[in-house]
Amino acid sequence: MAKVKNWHLKREMEYPYEESRPKRQWAIVFDLNKCIACQTCSLACKTTWTSGKGQEYMFWNNVETKPYGSYPLAWDVRVLEKLGHQQWERHEPYHGKTIFEAAEPSERAVHFHPTDEDWMYPNNGEDDCAGNVPHGDHINLPHDKWFFYLPRTCAHCTYPACLASCPRKAIYKREEDGIVLIDQSRCKGYGECVRACPYKKSMYNPYTRVSEKCVGCYPAVEQGYQPMCVQNCIGKIRIMGFVNPPWKSREDNPVDYLIHKKGLALPYYPQLGLEPNIYYIPPVHANREYLAQMFGPHVDEAIERYQKLREDPVAQGLLVLMGSTDRIIHSFKVTSGIAYGFDEKGDEIVRVPVTEPILERAAFDPKYGTVRNNTP
Amino acid sequence: MSLSKFILITAAFVSSVASAAEIKAIKITKDLSKLTAFEDSIWKGAREESISLMAQPMANPRPKTTTTQLVKVQAVHDGQWIAFKLRWNAESKNEAGKLGQFSDAVALQFPVKEGPPPPVFMGAKDHPVHIFHWRAQYQRDHEKGKPEMTDLYPNMNPDMYPMEFKDPGHVEGLTEEKREVYSPGKAAGNPQSYQKAGAVDEIFAEGFGSSSVIQNRMSVGQGTFKKGEWTVVIARPLKRENGSVLEPGKGSYVAFAVWQGSKQEVGSRKSVTMTWTPLQVNGQ
Repeated sequence: MAKVKNWHLKREMEYPYEESRPKRQWAIVFDLNKCIACQTCSLACKTTWTSGKGQEYMFWNNVETKPYGSYPLAWDVRVLEKLGHQQWERHEPYHGKTIFEAAEPSERAVHFHPTDEDWMYPNNGEDDCAGNVPHGDHINLPHDKWFFYLPRTCAHCTYPACLASCPRKAIYKREEDGIVLIDQSRCKGYGECVRACPYKKSMYNPYTRVSEKCVGCYPAVEQGYQPMCVQNCIGKIRIMGFVNPPWKSREDNPVDYLIHKKGLALPYYPQLGLEPNIYYIPPVHANREYLAQMFGPHVDEAIERYQKLREDPVAQGLLVLMGSTDRIIHSFKVTSGIAYGFDEKGDEIVRVPVTEPILERAAFDPKYGTVRNNTP
Repeated sequence: MSLSKFILITAAFVSSVASAAEIKAIKITKDLSKLTAFEDSIWKGAREESISLMAQPMANPRPKTTTTQLVKVQAVHDGQWIAFKLRWNAESKNEAGKLGQFSDAVALQFPVKEGPPPPVFMGAKDHPVHIFHWRAQYQRDHEKGKPEMTDLYPNMNPDMYPMEFKDPGHVEGLTEEKREVYSPGKAAGNPQSYQKAGAVDEIFAEGFGSSSVIQNRMSVGQGTFKKGEWTVVIARPLKRENGSVLEPGKGSYVAFAVWQGSKQEVGSRKSVTMTWTPLQVNGQ
């Protein structure tokens, strides 16, 4: 095993292959405070990529309700249980074990093998609350009865477990954008990646008899466009871009800004050791211990900063840029209440007011001679 | 030193040394190129060797315990073709299909080049091996056709598949080429995604993880499962151009691997021979 640098864990860790970071790294940031689980992303992905035979229950993008929802069944608790109790002190490197370090000598990673049935309930636990709300209860902040929605794609990890576990070396990480792909011509459907990916984002197609996974919408990304799940997000909760490691972070890069500069967005289950590249702005109202288990020890700070965003016009500007263009925003700026997004060459691709102007209309419309009212 | 490391090092040393057992392919007069020639009578006089297998020890992921201890081997040839009869114990018959279901399988491996044999664990760079891989799944394909989704999931009721969508008034439905776009494995030309033409895949490999299926396979295979035992016959031409060449009167080597589908064995999870077994193709 090689020693590689994992900045999520602030330490070196063991991985079957040498460290080899791509020229740039595909990443999505999700604002979980805005997700309403409308599943438009899931459908955008499904109609684009997985409407064929053998893909009936395959959702490269899914949205599950936490804590009780999961697809496949209980993927998160089962992998955490297999890894066992680990400790992570705030402001410290992670001293626990990753799935690579805790693996048995005969395996590449700690894993569990989901059964066929585990994939058959994609909306299991949807909208289930973490506790019952008895009659007459009232709600405090943060809520003691809570749930939140967790949209998930493949995280195109810096240290993918799927890639590490494939005995045929049929999985590769693209140098140009860090997207992780299963070579559909070389895969023999052993299902090792289905076993090894702790996020369970490698899926088996029994019709083609090979495994498949989220392709990061690479044909769109190559043309400078964001993936379909991002383009179609009606809640505008997502932004796709290229994340740099902290030592190369650029302040005018939207995802770098959210992840490094502001510390608003956190990787999920970083303790597994894959350096996943989907990042979440954690929900403000959910149980903090649960959130710390999912997003690491910095979740309190991230929420605190999010709640102070009113005082930060630049961050506010960036949040309104999310979902305002189909193109990939390589850099942005916010001046005089306007947020600008630029493409790779630095040409402007979008501009949005940070605060939409308020238009007041008189109660009486003289043209039609009628009283206006706000009927929803 | 951990036990696993010790096994690895030992294995590396013994890998090119042959085992004590030897397989003698006796000459018979029947035409082996036809599957129907595999009746019991042809194996009379061919000595059965018991070959020991071990859990594949070199590449992760690998099995924790040996699931197939022994494979019993007989061999005959007709001057043009050579056939191997392989028997091993299995808990049940497994033909794969859905996620997590794996096929029973067996493989024969031969050196491609003359001289000292390559590393027994699937060869090495510039030391290729020629593998004949029989799978119960491929045999099922060959006999009954590649399973449709309705075979795998009889109660599933998908609304519609765009790949099957037809608008009778206007279009004929999609061409096969356009339909394949909805099946990435097929569109990429992966042999795994197509109906298998026979029960045996021919494969070249130059080390772990390098195996690739070759197009013009010529070998045939037939397996039967009875009372907890697989009996599989694999027949191949003695001479395969650019591949393994066996000559009557001349010695060569063969190695074996067995996969137990019931134990979720597939790929690198298998039992293998730790050494090459000498193979004599009798001249007479």
